[in-house]
Amino acid sequence: MSKVEKAKYTAEAQAGFNHRTAMEEAARCLLCHDAPCSEGCPAGTDPGKFIRSIRFRNAKGAAETIRENNILGGSCARICPYDRLCEEACSRCGIDKPIQIGKLQRYAIEQEKIFKMKTLKAPAKKMKEKVACVGAGPASLACAAELAKAGYKVTVFDREEKAGGVMTYGIVPTRLPQKVVDHDIAQVKGLGVKFVLGKKVKPAELEAFDAVFVGVGLWGAKVPPIKGTNLKGVYAAADFLKQARTKKTFKPGKKVVVVGGGDVAVDCAVTAKLLGAEDVRIVYRRTLEEAPGNMTEFQYALSLGIGITTNMAPSSVLGTNKVEAVKFKGRPKVTESSELKLEANTVVFAIGQGAEDFSELAPVKLTEKGMIKATAKGKTSSKKYFAGGDIVNGGKTVVEAVASGKEAAASIIEFLQKGVK
Amino acid sequence: MAVKKDLSIKCLGVDCENPFFLSSSPVGGCYDMVAKCFETGWGGVFFKTVGIFVADECSPRFDQTNKEGIPWLGFKNMEQISDKPTEKNFEYIYKLKKDYPDKVVVASIMGSSDKEWRDLAKMADQAGADLIEGNFSCPQMTSHDMGSDVGTNVELVEAYSKAVSETTNIPFIAKMTPNCKNMEEPARAAIKGGAAAVSAINTIKSITNVDFENNTGMPVVNGKSSISGYSGAAVRPIALRFCAQVMQDPEMNKLLKANKKDFGYGHEMSGIGGIETWKDAAEFLSVGCRNVQVTTAIMQYGYRIVEDMISGMMHFMEEKGYNKLDDFIGCVLPNLIPAEELNRDFKVLPKFDNKKCVGCGRCYISCYDAAHQAIDWDEKKRRPVLLEDDCVGCQLCLNVCPVQDCITTGEIKWKKGRKKVKVATKQHFD
Repeated sequence: MSKVEKAKYTAEAQAGFNHRTAMEEAARCLLCHDAPCSEGCPAGTDPGKFIRSIRFRNAKGAAETIRENNILGGSCARICPYDRLCEEACSRCGIDKPIQIGKLQRYAIEQEKIFKMKTLKAPAKKMKEKVACVGAGPASLACAAELAKAGYKVTVFDREEKAGGVMTYGIVPTRLPQKVVDHDIAQVKGLGVKFVLGKKVKPAELEAFDAVFVGVGLWGAKVPPIKGTNLKGVYAAADFLKQARTKKTFKPGKKVVVVGGGDVAVDCAVTAKLLGAEDVRIVYRRTLEEAPGNMTEFQYALSLGIGITTNMAPSSVLGTNKVEAVKFKGRPKVTESSELKLEANTVVFAIGQGAEDFSELAPVKLTEKGMIKATAKGKTSSKKYFAGGDIVNGGKTVVEAVASGKEAAASIIEFLQKGVK
Repeated sequence: MAVKKDLSIKCLGVDCENPFFLSSSPVGGCYDMVAKCFETGWGGVFFKTVGIFVADECSPRFDQTNKEGIPWLGFKNMEQISDKPTEKNFEYIYKLKKDYPDKVVVASIMGSSDKEWRDLAKMADQAGADLIEGNFSCPQMTSHDMGSDVGTNVELVEAYSKAVSETTNIPFIAKMTPNCKNMEEPARAAIKGGAAAVSAINTIKSITNVDFENNTGMPVVNGKSSISGYSGAAVRPIALRFCAQVMQDPEMNKLLKANKKDFGYGHEMSGIGGIETWKDAAEFLSVGCRNVQVTTAIMQYGYRIVEDMISGMMHFMEEKGYNKLDDFIGCVLPNLIPAEELNRDFKVLPKFDNKKCVGCGRCYISCYDAAHQAIDWDEKKRRPVLLEDDCVGCQLCLNVCPVQDCITTGEIKWKKGRKKVKVATKQHFD
């Protein structure tokens, strides 16, 4: 029998480094002249620098580097797709295997917590301008932190009870424990950023602010245009994950089918498994090589006994009132004549999220898909409004959201300073 | 074992199964320990030093240094000589020799007066020890009449060596301290006094780590610490240097001949200091030692390390075509010459293998910051470019490169007007 690592829904899937194992791993680092790992991080977390700090017995310095560059360094350490970012760029790949950069980042941030470090400080003298960040997800948090560091008064609004956005409501806690998210958010709060949570922000409230950052994310449910998606037991990924995270009594049923090929699909499948589902399958319309999900996440799913089927797309959901089965058809030209019917108590569509209507909050130009049209620097069609994260890029990673939040903050500062002149 | 080589060797007239010995330390402190080490394959033991003085030890008494996550780079101990009664130790030695007649048992002794040295030598003789080693070198004795304070005083070394060799016919080895200005003087003094050989090195006085919890050194004994002996892999290069220097001293041979202490191999020596593998042992033999003594690596890994010392040494000899240890003992000594005699007419350029290179740029950084700015960095290709005219051939780049066989020995360039000769260079790097 294969060894199945069955974890609890809230237990961490992977143990971190201790001082010794962290040093051993840091000693493997080649300490490159022009560290390609640092080039490989969208948010500029600078692994080349923080690994060197660990290697020279300066874990606190490592934590500082991470925190200064990436306000969500703790969360990113857990959920970044390293294998296609910093670790893929690692020079050590030319010898054997890359440095476990994410795990070293996690170690450094754990030291930050153990030593109760307060790395970031907002200047005592505040600028007179106020900025609102709509949404308390990664992009907004990163933007708010940068602005607070520059002395601006920032308020973050979110309709949910807790801050964190996708990190709090959309990722399985085995992969990203809530305490890690909370620790990151505590750093933002430590900079004096105000949080208004649990109610929708009204357009009139935003008028008092000199600039507005829109980082509302993508929370519109997206299901394919096939029969039966209105049946009970059919979920869009975000809704499924949020129910699992917030309702203590949530039970997915014995048989769960997840449709999709990204990290969110794996998160849904893992969530279902860890909440007691017996038969969980991920079905993806393309191959695993083409899947956007992180290979280590797929491997983790496999280790839990979750099945993965590829080159099959959903064609209809069957059942009366409640879902009973899902039918799939093969991929054109590849598995064209194949058919598949899976029994299911729950079906989760993890095929991306759509934008919601936020036109009354922000008078900005949109794309055909309803995303905000913004430059790489977070500028929108409207001077006072800036945007970043999933609502601009259509749904990417947390680290990319952090990067866009930082960019937008720089644009906001530039805008406000020009305004003063 | 597929390869079988004769590792037996005669040391000071005593037949040894192999050159691998425990050094006088906690690793050979009672009958059961030594019996186990013999069963595991060690050729002999320098039994833990016996004195009239019985040690009263502190707790804790060990510490270690590490680098980049690698522990036990060096090891510090605050132990003195045996804490068991004098008679008990000689009983162990007697019983070991009786039960393991083919193994070599060396009695290590330390007195604090002429009489004590004579009494201990007599007891060692009666116990049937094959050889006697005089501990002139423990740096953490609680009395200044013993240990390295004696070993740095040439008059005392000579007098106590004389006391032992007048008492017994068993060959006497004087164990040297590295905490000295030079080792040749006390070594000569020992031979003058009648010793048959010297062994080196004992531990180096050290502070391994500072403990900022108590603002003292490590290990912490009730908030305090003491300077004491450092051993292990970190000291091996220093030990090799002392062994080679003593072996190269022409006075030693003359004195041994005059004293009729030549057992057929001229000047003999026992090597100690950071030996962990067959390679380390072979290095000590290559500078002229006829056996090696080990403690720190056993403290870390146990007696079993001798299995790979034996097997590894046999494979080495097979590879080099040696049939007995004497085929290569001392082979390095003629090639260790004073710095002023080295050929300085040429430079050896490094050779870069761009296919093996992973583009880390460590050669570029080190060459710029610590050598002669003779490597350019091709930022696009992420590869080093050698500026041959600026390169002085120091090979710092070769030493920092993390990739096996990526930077190797390249072309030889002659300085202007110098005479070209055939040059021997190193071709294979670990």
